[in-house]
Amino acid sequence: MHMADALLAPAVAATMYVASGATAAVSVHKLRKEDDEAKKLPVMAVTAALVFAGQMINYTIPGTGSSGHICGGMLLSALLGPQAGFLSMTVILTIQCLFFGDGGLLALGANIWNMAFYGCFVGYFLIWKPIMHSKLFGKLSTKAAQRSRIILASILGCVLTLQLGAFSVVCETNLSGITDLPFGAFVAIMQPIHLLIGLVEGLITAAVLTFVFESRPELIKELDGGSELVNRHSTKTVVAILAVAVIIIGGGLSLFASENPDGLEWSLFGNGDAGYSDNMGLDEDDYGISSTAAEKAGKLQDSTSILPDYAFADSDSAAGTSVSGLVGSAVVAAVAIGVCVLCGALKKKKKC
Amino acid sequence: MKRIDHAIVEFKEMDEMAKRDSLVHSVNPVVKLIITIAYIFVTVSFGKYDLSGLIIMCLYPIALFEISDTSIGACFYKLRIVIPLVCAVGIFNPFLDKETLLYVGNVAVSGGVVSMFTLMLKGVFCIMASFVLVATTSFDEICAALRRLHIPGFFVTLLLLTYRYISVMMEEVSVMTDAYMLRAPGQKGVHFSAWGSFLGQLLLRSMDRAEELYSSMRLRGFNGEFIYASLDPLKGRDYAFLFASLGIIALFRFTELTAIIGQLVM
Amino acid sequence: MIEFNNVYFSYDKEHTVLDGISFKIEKGESVGLIGANGAGKSSMLKVLLGLLPHDGEISVNGIKVCKQNLAEVRRVLGFVLQNSDNQMFMPTVLDDMMFGLCNYGMSKKDAEARVDEVLEQLDLVSLKNKYNHKISGGEKRMAAIATVLAMQPEVIIMDEPSVSLDPYNRRAVINVINRLEQTKIIASHDLDMIMETCTKVMLLSGGRIVAVGTTDEILRNKKLLEENRMELPFGIAAADR
Repeated sequence: MHMADALLAPAVAATMYVASGATAAVSVHKLRKEDDEAKKLPVMAVTAALVFAGQMINYTIPGTGSSGHICGGMLLSALLGPQAGFLSMTVILTIQCLFFGDGGLLALGANIWNMAFYGCFVGYFLIWKPIMHSKLFGKLSTKAAQRSRIILASILGCVLTLQLGAFSVVCETNLSGITDLPFGAFVAIMQPIHLLIGLVEGLITAAVLTFVFESRPELIKELDGGSELVNRHSTKTVVAILAVAVIIIGGGLSLFASENPDGLEWSLFGNGDAGYSDNMGLDEDDYGISSTAAEKAGKLQDSTSILPDYAFADSDSAAGTSVSGLVGSAVVAAVAIGVCVLCGALKKKKKC
Repeated sequence: MKRIDHAIVEFKEMDEMAKRDSLVHSVNPVVKLIITIAYIFVTVSFGKYDLSGLIIMCLYPIALFEISDTSIGACFYKLRIVIPLVCAVGIFNPFLDKETLLYVGNVAVSGGVVSMFTLMLKGVFCIMASFVLVATTSFDEICAALRRLHIPGFFVTLLLLTYRYISVMMEEVSVMTDAYMLRAPGQKGVHFSAWGSFLGQLLLRSMDRAEELYSSMRLRGFNGEFIYASLDPLKGRDYAFLFASLGIIALFRFTELTAIIGQLVM
Repeated sequence: MIEFNNVYFSYDKEHTVLDGISFKIEKGESVGLIGANGAGKSSMLKVLLGLLPHDGEISVNGIKVCKQNLAEVRRVLGFVLQNSDNQMFMPTVLDDMMFGLCNYGMSKKDAEARVDEVLEQLDLVSLKNKYNHKISGGEKRMAAIATVLAMQPEVIIMDEPSVSLDPYNRRAVINVINRLEQTKIIASHDLDMIMETCTKVMLLSGGRIVAVGTTDEILRNKKLLEENRMELPFGIAAADR
């Protein structure tokens, strides 16, 4: 789900920077006020580093041939709390952007918002905290109830926050006026894919958190002792929250099932799928830019009937783009390539 | 090689590159950070059909690549992550925007095709600019620059510590993946039954590590504030570099240099 | 110099980790701390450093180890952690060595001069600007020792300094330890190294000190060592054969 610089208009990117920056500033401020601020630092750093590395673990998805991985927003906030989780996630995204070209410097603000803000704040306050404090699964033993709440909250949280994140990507891209893809069609591509990704992420997060719960329950935030504690959230609130989650997730599902607003072939989605899955995790290993995507694009060109009439059009020339611009572009491209080749040759000479 | 091992190598290579010496390396990191952001900002601000205006922007990062003796090939390797996404979004344009924008000889080119190429080039140029920044500036320099730009110390310290532990954690994940794969031949990833314990074990271990780390910090008098390696103040040549670069970027953006070159040639 | 008086520590009520420990270490002594896994060596060191709480009395240079005095106590004690990665948390060796010095209020220029001096002493000048995650295990250990020495502590405490080092690096560490004139406390299972570096040995078992004596007395006592889940140092065993 990493946005690329190119997909954003400066104004949108700047807005997202301001939003994410403000959230980060508030988080830092909040953490500073806590007593164990100094201690939080190493814990956050090591956990963030682990999640960074943990994103590269492949998990095989049962019943399918593919594998997925985690992004880690919910995991971090369940272990560190929303503010610390948000900052850790921000740090992860910053380092990814600098060292691995994941996302981009300009898109960083948007990426932080799409992944860290939703995953940590929305996921935490809307899903994690209410569910962990709820009476859900009250009939089970305390431990079993807690475990069930962890599983439910992880899955719901991940699915919901990824839906929100994916929706933001669509909004940001469309607001930037980068793509001609209509809003509806874009949403119809993004949401279902991220429903699956969110589900996988949710299951992995649930598995990791229940493991931590079994061995070191004190590490998990908002773990309620069960009946002896006052429930701060009534069943009503939880039901309301679940309803909201269901609506949002259901929206994603219905898009998945509904007919595509623009009549684009479903095969087109396969194409988007290939691109996104590389960023979000499905089938990472099998995926090669040149192979899958290009192949699909190629097939697409053959099969789509819209294609032929754009190559040799006999309509009137759209004025504006001048011939000189074209020639100039060619010259610039030639110069650029020339510089590279020349410098390369010079370097070789030096080495000899 | 496993994915994580690739990442470890990539991480080390980036460090290695930043440690070299060149004209670009020696420029104050604050300046480089500002210029990079300015460049990306300007690059994405080109209109969606302004392919000919955009193309000249490539000259600036290419110049930096060559001056700093950085391999463009290594940069293109990074593109594998971003380009698919950009393409996925851009690939629809030719189908949806079919109005002819220009002719090349006899061939009409639609707006969608132009906007797709513009989008892709933007993606490539932005990555090139970020790459050349990281390839010529070490991470602690970037952190010092961020501190200089008044990013809160807490955050910068977190960034620095996380960066330090990423390689440690990647090694651990790599070793554990090896251990797993040795006893699970033919599996593509971690089996469902081990989903929780695999990362969970590492997580518990890293919590203990954080404890140790905190001890080590306290024993050496840490009380919540890091003291940073100070940056040199901006020198004359830093200013020169800053203004020259900004000037060039502005020139590329605000004059139709490509068209002018084209006219001259013709 | 260091005095433990009836020190107790436990993580929970059931398991006492340190069970009434009393001893004295004089200035300039080098003391080996040995004992099986879980005997309480690490806990004892952490209690001394004020990283864990305790009951009873501990004093360092006459200063009581308690919350108010921690900064002062830690100025005197230098601790080399078992895992150097946990000790070296800054990006480069130089940054790491400067970290403690700057925290104690030294100016950057003086701190760097001190770093240079220590690196020169240990013959590690080439490591100065290296990244911590790129140096070898042996170099990392030496650098970790250097970060502690840069603080010029009066007592150097080491937890397993020779573990996971190759013979060459192990030898190098032993040589460094022997060159140090400070008071030393070395916790280790490497009895041969203790033999070479320490004059006095304390044997811990089940949270108590079961034997104190000169290195020769303790490390040649086969029965005592075997009762406490250890065996004669290789050097001595070989000589006896």
